[in-house]
Amino acid sequence: MIYVNYAVAGVVFSLGVFTVLTRRNLVKIVMGLSLMEGSIYVLVISTAYRRGSTAPVLLTPPHGFGERALARGNVADPVLQNIALTAVIIGVAVTAVLLAAVVRVAQHYRTLDADDVRELRG
Amino acid sequence: MNDADLSSLLPLAVVAPIVGAVAAPLLARWSGRAALAVSLLALGCASGVLVLVAPTVLGGTVLVEEVGGWRPVGGSQLGVTFAADALGLVFALLCAVVGGLLLLFTFSDLADLGRRETGGYACLFQLLLAALIGSALTADLLNLFVWFEVAALASYGLTGFFLERPYAVEAAFKIMVLTNMAAFYVFVAVALVYAGQGALNFGQVRASMPHALGSADLVALALVVAGFGTKAGLVPFHGWLADAHTAAPGPVSALFSGLMVNLGLLGLLRVVFDLYDARPGAVLVLLGVLGSLAAIGGAALALVQDDLKRLLAYDTVSQMGVLVIALSVASDESLTGLVYHLVDHALFKSLLFLCAGAIVHATGMTKLSEMGGLARHRRVLTIAFVVGALSIAGVPPLNGYVSLGLIHESTEHGHLALFVVLTLAQVLTVAALARATYLAFFRRRDDDYDRFERPRVGMVVAFLSLSAGCVAFGVAPTWVLDHVAGPAAASLTESGAYAAATLRGHGTLTAVHVPFPYLDPVRLLVSGGTVVVGLLLAWWAVRHEGRSARALRPLVALHTGSVNDYAAFAVLGAVVAVVVLAAT
Amino acid sequence: MTRPDERELVSREPVHRLWVGAVLALGLGAGLLLAVLDLPDDTAPLPSIARRAMVEALPAFRTTEPVSAVVYGFRAMDTFGETFLLLAAVVSVGLLSRTREPRHGFIGEEKAGAEEQSRSDPQEQETAQQREARAGERVEAGEGDSPATPDDEPVGTPAPERAHAMTVVTRLAVRLALPLLAVAGLYLVTQGYSPGGGFPAGAVVLGVVLLVHAAFGYPAVRPLVRPGRTEAVELAGAMAIVLLLTLGLPLAGSFAASWVPLAPEQSLRSGGLLQVFSLAELVEVASGLTLTVFALMGMQHDWAADPEDES
Repeated sequence: MIYVNYAVAGVVFSLGVFTVLTRRNLVKIVMGLSLMEGSIYVLVISTAYRRGSTAPVLLTPPHGFGERALARGNVADPVLQNIALTAVIIGVAVTAVLLAAVVRVAQHYRTLDADDVRELRG
Repeated sequence: MNDADLSSLLPLAVVAPIVGAVAAPLLARWSGRAALAVSLLALGCASGVLVLVAPTVLGGTVLVEEVGGWRPVGGSQLGVTFAADALGLVFALLCAVVGGLLLLFTFSDLADLGRRETGGYACLFQLLLAALIGSALTADLLNLFVWFEVAALASYGLTGFFLERPYAVEAAFKIMVLTNMAAFYVFVAVALVYAGQGALNFGQVRASMPHALGSADLVALALVVAGFGTKAGLVPFHGWLADAHTAAPGPVSALFSGLMVNLGLLGLLRVVFDLYDARPGAVLVLLGVLGSLAAIGGAALALVQDDLKRLLAYDTVSQMGVLVIALSVASDESLTGLVYHLVDHALFKSLLFLCAGAIVHATGMTKLSEMGGLARHRRVLTIAFVVGALSIAGVPPLNGYVSLGLIHESTEHGHLALFVVLTLAQVLTVAALARATYLAFFRRRDDDYDRFERPRVGMVVAFLSLSAGCVAFGVAPTWVLDHVAGPAAASLTESGAYAAATLRGHGTLTAVHVPFPYLDPVRLLVSGGTVVVGLLLAWWAVRHEGRSARALRPLVALHTGSVNDYAAFAVLGAVVAVVVLAAT
Repeated sequence: MTRPDERELVSREPVHRLWVGAVLALGLGAGLLLAVLDLPDDTAPLPSIARRAMVEALPAFRTTEPVSAVVYGFRAMDTFGETFLLLAAVVSVGLLSRTREPRHGFIGEEKAGAEEQSRSDPQEQETAQQREARAGERVEAGEGDSPATPDDEPVGTPAPERAHAMTVVTRLAVRLALPLLAVAGLYLVTQGYSPGGGFPAGAVVLGVVLLVHAAFGYPAVRPLVRPGRTEAVELAGAMAIVLLLTLGLPLAGSFAASWVPLAPEQSLRSGGLLQVFSLAELVEVASGLTLTVFALMGMQHDWAADPEDES
């Protein structure tokens, strides 16, 4: 278990949550969400790792691995790579929509301070 | 048609609205009517597929389709599985039919919008409906998350649709931040479950869950409660709900409140019952507490709102609280009542929001204090709103009486605290809706409205259909209980059988049989009592507007409107859930 | 004692309940770490479904790339959902950044919006932030002529920010790099039997378009990224994906089943459905992301009336 990876994922996730909770600048809140998302990539890929394994590709296995070893499963987890790809696409999509909304809020309210964008309350 | 053929049609129920979504922007450039026709056709096809499989599924068979033909091997399923059980089918059919009515309403109410924006609207609307149907029919954890995310993204664009309202862009930003955090929670939960159990299919996950749940599984459950709870509008996570409903167009608010919040509830049901088998017991207690807070808090806040759509949004929070209380009781009766109330809520809440949306779109007025006397001008609108309000109030012979009665009955023995909570919430709800009905419709208003267009044909059709639905589900409770709610509740009470069916490829469930004594004196007393007390409270609230606002000021002050605060409440809820579940 | 302008430079950024946020963030991070440390460590065997993906990728799809087999083959339904997730995002950005269209009839929301805007517009003095924002908008709106390239302006003028294109060095470098990048992108999507696929290839195509835009200016890419055309291409890609997967139902018995005939592995057509799905995905992702980026850049200021403009 690569403890460093998990520690980094946890720290970056906390930093992202901290940014969303305490920064009033709207663009920084969007960046906080990106931080949370980045930490999830690290988390997912770290859980895919197996000690002494190679990449899950069946093309010309590296020295020391036969085709049988690959089939037996001495590779990192390919399904988690699918999950990570899902996360990347979601990240791109959501960041784009968030930034469009931030620009529109800035045009209407003429401010990027979340405390001034509070017309809907109560 | 045998079961295998029927089940292979299931993905088409998701594909049809997607085809409509892709075709709509292209067709809208030429003619709005063509876009409407194709969209209704798409939803009609989806409804058709679901109706075709309905007799088999409501009879107790679970139709399982391994998408792509990749069958499970040795108890492990790599591919995505679609399983139509009665719960999923009821929800999917509700989305398809009510969604179609909402689209019809949109195209007639919002017919005067520009072509390109109509096309974009129709595209997002149908993508959301497709995602709701997909999440109802899926039996795979990652797939459930993907449809959750599709619904979320579609909802972002729909919330910020009317760019001329600054509230719309503000609400869009808030819903984006909060729903995105919820999506991250669910995603981390899915990654934790896969890393811990090595499975994504519901049946396989349930089979491989150890008897003593480890921290990874418990934290995953807590994150699922936080994530799906946000979507469902559960209490510390509900910050986005009121704002998004206030600012979105009328049919979109109806879609959110009537159908989309149910996605969160469905996710909770699937994970809590089908994956974790309602273990640990603390999760039901946690949900009971959160549900109680939502039921009372939402209804109390609804009582002091000035904006009509915001009032209805807080009422949605309250009704979701009631549904989650029914979930936490987890008995045959409460789960049947939950399914029944889910259907009823979709019908009457959509109806109320369509009325509110029609009022905003026709007059430009959003505040109750400025409205009044609508009963004289618009009869159909008034009838529709009154039917919706009476349904929520739980007045026989409308549908609320049966579903709320079932839920109340299930808490009478052994959950007295919840019974008190439910009754109090019901009183506050009746008061809030009565106040709204009076202020908007029946109060005298001396000045005439400057511009007030008549409802168009499509709008009238939608109003009448939904009202008829409210009445129909109220006057035929035995039929609904035997053929709709009973079979659906079986997926929750016999969750093991459902989960095993999704892995094995076929299965049957036996419907839950819960009688509902329509003229039971206790039920009538509770219903009548809450209505009377509610009306009195409404009268007091209307007469002493200031005093009621002052009494609830702490609660109102908590909703500061700042996105940081709402996110803080959501994170607090997630941390509490993690502590409660992982520490016990 | 700091001088006034220095004090502005080191002014604190506004924060919101710092300690509450710190405690909550730490709590959530701790919970996450608690969960993660409980997971099986890296000596645990692969899950059975991962092993199945490794074993069946070659016989089922004749592909040597199990990740592609999982993404586009075994779990095609997930990728199908992802595609429409991206479509929903693109359409949402399109709606949020749209220009005002003529509408007929009375729209109640416009009246409500005007009231809300007047209510929320600040009555008090304009803050420095607002003055900066207005100045920035004026620059963006492009007052005055912009030169075609910075090389046309004499040295020392503030031309480089306002020119359409970049300097001759940048333009030459981009001209050299572009073919390499374009080929790399196509390679990623066509050689599906090595790691690659439609999504990264789509991102590379977007990168190529943006590079041309940055180096040569908007006039160079305008014919390529006309919104109406690009939207049609994207929707066509999405429709192609739907068609590809739905054809599995009559031809192979199940939605998203593999019906495309397989070719020997490590050839261009190996992978059957995977390759075709990946290609359609490329079209959809590339056009969708292009649409998103250019919609964001092309946002006008036509929904919120500026009181200064009206005076």
